[in-house]
Amino acid sequence: MRCPEVNSQLQLYIDNRLSMNQVRELEEHLARCETCQKQLFLLEEITSALRELPPVAEPAGMTMLIMQRVAISSQRQSDNRFSLLRPSLPELLVVIFLASVTTLSIIWQQPSLREVLPFAKPLSQTITYVIHFLYTGDMGAITLVLWVGGAIAGVCITLALAGNEIRSQWFKAMMDRLPIR
Amino acid sequence: MSGQILHPTRGLGIPLTNAVLSFTEQDEVNLVAASKKGDQDSFALLVQQHQRRVFNLVYRMLQEYEEANEVTQETFLAAWQGLPSFRGDARFSTWLYRIAYNCALKQLEQRKRDRAIQMGVQAEQIVANATSEQQVDAQLEAHSRQAMVHEQLAKLPAKYRIVLVLRHLHEMTYEEMAEVLTTPIGTIKTHLFRARNLLKERLEMFDREQHSETRGE
Repeated sequence: MRCPEVNSQLQLYIDNRLSMNQVRELEEHLARCETCQKQLFLLEEITSALRELPPVAEPAGMTMLIMQRVAISSQRQSDNRFSLLRPSLPELLVVIFLASVTTLSIIWQQPSLREVLPFAKPLSQTITYVIHFLYTGDMGAITLVLWVGGAIAGVCITLALAGNEIRSQWFKAMMDRLPIR
Repeated sequence: MSGQILHPTRGLGIPLTNAVLSFTEQDEVNLVAASKKGDQDSFALLVQQHQRRVFNLVYRMLQEYEEANEVTQETFLAAWQGLPSFRGDARFSTWLYRIAYNCALKQLEQRKRDRAIQMGVQAEQIVANATSEQQVDAQLEAHSRQAMVHEQLAKLPAKYRIVLVLRHLHEMTYEEMAEVLTTPIGTIKTHLFRARNLLKERLEMFDREQHSETRGE
């Protein structure tokens, strides 16, 4: 075994990562080579100094501080878990709106109920007008209006149902991407 | 700068683990299972058991006592929040050290970003730092070679410091270190060998300086 080879194995030697044969060969070389011995002593001195590195005491009351933060975080998690059961005002308005539309459309399909409602006649006229417009108007423009309106309505409904935190994140992300100050 | 210089009384005569709380592996598994179910008392015991080791690991990486305190707390909070995802494939301590390492890395990156902002402030502190460096130099002369190794450890890059600390202070094997640092064993070896070689070179340089000073006298 030559010195460069021994040098490359010294670190494995102090980490006990060499096989028995390798250890024997290395130790034979070390027994007769003073330069490699010196290198080994230096490495051993370093590892021994590092093992003696005195532990640093953590600040007093660290467990208590950590557990306080854990308790607060658990409280928040538990609040978040029930947040879906407590809708905010916009969420409530969207739900009422959707429920009203659904109810009206059900009523609309029943002629007997339609007659009873006081606003049925003007509503019927409005709907007839809209249907007439849809049939006679420019289909390209109508499709565009429907696409844009649908997209905006979709975003609004999603944001209304997503909750305050997601809404503020979305708003912040959008403002960051806009080329304005 | 090392903790011993900053806090002379803190580093002396304390064990790295909590001797009062000595858990068997099974105890720890049970405590982890209970913590996963939301038992904060069990988690408090795990914190007590591991906080000193985690704190020391973070402290050796950051070299700042107060920052290490904050990052250790963040580590345990992240562990608590991440417990549902802990499947138990690795040991709890390995998983915890990995979180600590990642939190400390994040803090080092944050520090790098802050450094640019603090350039102005640092310029004002140059005089003060020079004075403290002179004090450190004076202490180095008086210290033993062992203390010199400790001082030089603090000056190594964080990636080298961490492998030395894990290997010699936490007595981890290459495989355990690879698991904690999520790095291939080959890279761990390279970092460890380079780190020791750097310390060796500095120790040799120190010896040469001492020798030439002796001859000069």
